Amino acid sequence: MGMVLEKLPGITKGMPGGDLILTTADALIDLGRKQSLWPMTFGLACCAIEMMGSYAARFDFDRFGVIPRASPRQADVMIVAGTVCKKMAEPILEIYHQMPEPRFVISMGSCANCGGPYYDSYSVLKGVDRIVPVDVYIAGCPPRPEALQYAFVKLQEKVAKMSLKNGLATPQQEKGSRDAAA
Amino acid sequence: MTQDELLSKIQSKFPKLEKAPVQVKDYLTLRLASQEELLPTASWLKGNGFDYLDMLTAVDYLGPVDMKGYIRQPNFNPFLPEGAAPQAESAPVAGYAYRPVLELVWAFVSMKDKARVFLKLEVPRDAARAPSLSGLFKSADWQEREVFDLFGVVYDGHPNLTKILTPDFLQGHPLRKDYVHIKDRYDE
Repeated sequence: MGMVLEKLPGITKGMPGGDLILTTADALIDLGRKQSLWPMTFGLACCAIEMMGSYAARFDFDRFGVIPRASPRQADVMIVAGTVCKKMAEPILEIYHQMPEPRFVISMGSCANCGGPYYDSYSVLKGVDRIVPVDVYIAGCPPRPEALQYAFVKLQEKVAKMSLKNGLATPQQEKGSRDAAA
Repeated sequence: MTQDELLSKIQSKFPKLEKAPVQVKDYLTLRLASQEELLPTASWLKGNGFDYLDMLTAVDYLGPVDMKGYIRQPNFNPFLPEGAAPQAESAPVAGYAYRPVLELVWAFVSMKDKARVFLKLEVPRDAARAPSLSGLFKSADWQEREVFDLFGVVYDGHPNLTKILTPDFLQGHPLRKDYVHIKDRYDE
């Protein structure tokens, strides 16, 4: 699959009607990607309780194809659920770099967005977007499971716009600052 | 054994010990006159039923603070520029015992007698030292490291007195009343 993703744009470039093959492949690949967004299992604070509630029977994340994985190597999404302490910043960065591309980050709750009630604390990182690029922010303290599910719907919309032509980037990423060096 | 019996029993052994001016709840609270008394007292307590070190901690009595113990910021609005004119008076509250000391507290529990004894020791803030109890009680090990990390109290004789909670790059002792945060690499 990785070879297809890497080589296909180059092969179809010179072919007549090559763009058609690319768009068809895009639709297929994006469909697969957005229906199986697997998050990395880890929680940092009280938001993690809401995250666990979303996985459980009442809210049932499985129907979105969202299945928690216990290893960053198998995960597509990182849900930063809770307060990010400065001591926890480096492990989070490590998890992010262990995830295979394309990878996405959901910042869940006020603490992960901007520090929240710990805006003047000496030990809290004021927003996880200072260390990793964030795709979807969820407001709330903590957000309800419905809000987390809405974030996944938004992320699916974003994934559906990804194109092989742009490498692995979504349209927003392409013009934005994310992964500029990569 | 009632509290008075226990007090007279301890005072017959250690005549310098006296009741602290402020009691912890309604437990027997004793004030140590100097650091040297701590180890003999603790080992005597351990041999006389109080064989469980419940907790140890420190209290910073530096003023001015409000009655809840927080520093009364002259500028509590964080969005004002630095060096702005103070918006509130910062004066000590009358009747509150401000003094530049750290008060160290130990709590010993006797499971047999269902009793608890508190020991208090006042040390100066700039040279906060006390003998370590980790030789007597294993549970003192991490708690002394925590007090060292957050208050800067040096425990003499501790086997491994290093930071336990705050990250390595954090400077200073955050629970001291005069702690000022120095910006690190995560603050920009």
